[in-house]
Amino acid sequence: MSYILQGKKNEINRQSLIIDIFIWAFLILAALFILAPTIFMFTASLMPANDILKMPYRWIPKGLYLQNYWQGIRGNDGSFIYIRNILNSLIVASAVAATTVIFSALAGFGLAKYYFKGRTLVFMLIMATMMIPFEAIMIPLYLVTTKLGIQDSYAGLIAPFLVNAFGVFLMRQYFITFPDEILDAARIDGASELMIFRTIILPNSIPAMATLAILTFKAQWDNLLWPLLVVQSEEMKTIPLYIVKFMAEKHTDEGAMMAVAAIASIPILIVFFKLSKYFLGGAALYSSRKG
Amino acid sequence: MSKRIPTYNIERKKARWGWIFVAPTLIFFSLFSFYPIFNALYTSLFKKKLLSLKPPDFIGLSNYIYLLKSPDFWNSMRATVVFTLGTFVPLLIFSLIFAIFIMSRKRFQNFFQIAYYSPAVLSSVVAAVIWLIIFDPRGLGNQWLNLIMNTPGIDHKWLANSVMVQMSTMLVYFWKYVGYFTIIFIVGLASIPHSIYEAAKIDGANDWKNFWYITLPLLKPTTILVSIISMLQCLRTFSTQYLFTQGGAPLAPINVITLNIYYTAIRDHRIGRASAMSIILFVIMLLFTWVQFKSSRADEISY
Repeated sequence: MSYILQGKKNEINRQSLIIDIFIWAFLILAALFILAPTIFMFTASLMPANDILKMPYRWIPKGLYLQNYWQGIRGNDGSFIYIRNILNSLIVASAVAATTVIFSALAGFGLAKYYFKGRTLVFMLIMATMMIPFEAIMIPLYLVTTKLGIQDSYAGLIAPFLVNAFGVFLMRQYFITFPDEILDAARIDGASELMIFRTIILPNSIPAMATLAILTFKAQWDNLLWPLLVVQSEEMKTIPLYIVKFMAEKHTDEGAMMAVAAIASIPILIVFFKLSKYFLGGAALYSSRKG
Repeated sequence: MSKRIPTYNIERKKARWGWIFVAPTLIFFSLFSFYPIFNALYTSLFKKKLLSLKPPDFIGLSNYIYLLKSPDFWNSMRATVVFTLGTFVPLLIFSLIFAIFIMSRKRFQNFFQIAYYSPAVLSSVVAAVIWLIIFDPRGLGNQWLNLIMNTPGIDHKWLANSVMVQMSTMLVYFWKYVGYFTIIFIVGLASIPHSIYEAAKIDGANDWKNFWYITLPLLKPTTILVSIISMLQCLRTFSTQYLFTQGGAPLAPINVITLNIYYTAIRDHRIGRASAMSIILFVIMLLFTWVQFKSSRADEISY
């Protein structure tokens, strides 16, 4: 009897070992597939174009072919405009992240901790903007920016993204659990509402604000459609637009292309590896969209 | 007066501050969300040309009627639907599998999460240019596929063939976002209380039964959420298709609705017609969002 049980147990053990190996293999293969294109970008950026399209591809570059990076930064016309374009992306993404965090925190705080007539309606209206896809309003927005004369400027690049409904929602959720007693105690001590916001609310919401800032920064760093509409001059282009332009140029080969892409990716990847918990937390926030 | 009912005044003061805090955001949304969407609706009833100085002609629903009869518009609808379905189904299935497999591991959970999520950090333009080179006839795409299918030397025409170019855009999108949805599923999995599995273990359930009778039903809200978010995102896809056509791929198979709006407005200068298309896109997305709200209300789970 015990012999039979022993045999069955062994069989189960072997079965679970096979499943275990299968899962590891699956996860590792998937990781290789997902990481390969990024690794490809970095290795290819260090090779002359002839080596990139060699069959089979050699994953380890023979040497460091840094001309690609030089060509990427310098540009085919030698104008070094990419540096300016990178700066533009940094300026626009940082500005949008800053305004989004500030306005979202203000509105989220107002909606979470103040009882005023029409509060629910205001909240519903703000949430309703989530349903309006940017693609549906880009043309009217474009016409407005042209009318205001702020096309092809930082103001035009930044204006449509000053704050977003997701940010307001996020901050409101965060503030709702904040104890009222602390706010009331501060009021009794004579603090003004603005002072309460500055000295109590802001310092206590750093994690939520950091997450929101990172998500917003990333989204802007990635933005192609809006800059494509409003930017005309080379000086005002952002990184995605520079990449599109650089790709179309005659002297651009695959190596220089990958170098330009790598330069665009290095800052955001460094931020990601340093602050991965905020990135992962940001994705996770979406799943807690209740209440 | 104020001395007799002090709370009344405090409440009023607080209400005023509530409005002050909300005001900037509200003004912003009125100018940059509500006004434009009504403006798009209004413009869609006119024959309006970009850069034209003469006043636009009111043409009623002609733009919509034109679109509904236009093969080009229906091609865009087809391209959008094919892309959305072809992308979100694999996204859903694989992100669920990845999440469950990662959570079943005792080690390297963090490594796999970061590795799978990393493409989502790259900008979509960068993603598209990397894959453009991978899809080159002499590139990695052919080398890999030929290795897997054991068909040496065959060019699979990733960017030239009209079916393949659609698959290519789906693959890029899948690669970029599968990690993002994996993370959402992991959060959903983590929120299922461990005690349920312990109770099931006492009742003699194995891993497979656990998955089928506990994990999957309790993950239903997360699954619905992921499918709606990914569908809405897919409907709005633009960068990959734009870059691919810039890189020499044929336009027609991947001329998704956003791309069509962009070209109609900016290349053809037909603002009215582009606005009508925008409104149609808006209505489709509104329907999806409405479904999301309905289903998320019905599936509220409490432990």
